[in-house]
Amino acid sequence: MHEMSIALEIGRLAETQVGLEHVGEIVTVGVEVGDDAGIEPENLEFCLEAVLATPPFRRAKPVLERLPGDVLRLSYLEVDDGRPDDSSP
Amino acid sequence: MAVRTIAVRERVMAKNDELAQTVRARLAEHDVVAFNLVSSPGAGKTLLLERTLERTNAAYRIAVVTGDVQTQNDADRLARKTDQLVQAVVTNGACHLDARQVLESLDAIDLAATDILFIENVGNLVCPASWDLGEAAKIVVFSVTEGEDKPLKYPKMFQQSRYAIINKIDLLPYVPFNVELAVANARQVNPELRFFLTSAQTGEGLDQWCDFLGMHVREVRAT
Repeated sequence: MHEMSIALEIGRLAETQVGLEHVGEIVTVGVEVGDDAGIEPENLEFCLEAVLATPPFRRAKPVLERLPGDVLRLSYLEVDDGRPDDSSP
Repeated sequence: MAVRTIAVRERVMAKNDELAQTVRARLAEHDVVAFNLVSSPGAGKTLLLERTLERTNAAYRIAVVTGDVQTQNDADRLARKTDQLVQAVVTNGACHLDARQVLESLDAIDLAATDILFIENVGNLVCPASWDLGEAAKIVVFSVTEGEDKPLKYPKMFQQSRYAIINKIDLLPYVPFNVELAVANARQVNPELRFFLTSAQTGEGLDQWCDFLGMHVREVRAT
């Protein structure tokens, strides 16, 4: 039931991490959800999809990883700034 | 495509927990003991608090923060029983209180003139378990009309709580509730849990409960 609060907080953390002007470049939001975290993962995913479809987010998708224990973390972000990859030939 | 990965590894509850520590520090500064009362809707939190205020008003100064999804009904009821401030937080749909709401409520409370702060959480045995509000302990209230298996159905709330109040014991003759089984179920998920058996309606068990509160107040004053 509190998954929406959690999803909003994850959105806030992601925004803090990259800065408001780059939020639209986030393509993946990786979240670790423990089995004992008191979270219904499908429900959290649904809420995250709603939050990440709302400005300033533009195209971010949630990726949830189930883990044992009570962990609940924003584990990583994937950001695409649209520039060509420096490492490619 | 230039996708880069940023490792974050930040706990989702980190901000709440930081605010909860701020609440804890402010309470400690003024020697205030805070208890976070959690239960399902209708377990009797508000009546228990009304009776507690009636019995202890002369001895300790108790302030209350109540959380409800809508209405200030609980705060209005409690305000009639105490001169201390009762602060209502209407969560507007949210299923729990968070530390930010409690911290903001503290601004309105004269902490220097308070011994105990009760936080009456939103009636819900699921979500409030995940939020630290800066309390000294969570106290879960469950009533004999609810069934002995509540602790097994909602283990996180019983694990997070240090005390359990089995309330409405005046109804025991009329409902098929086995107190020993309820206690055993609760201890199965939290062996450290301590119990009070009360009837807020008749007053049974409230002496022990109020003694317990008095003990905490004396302990804090002594340190």
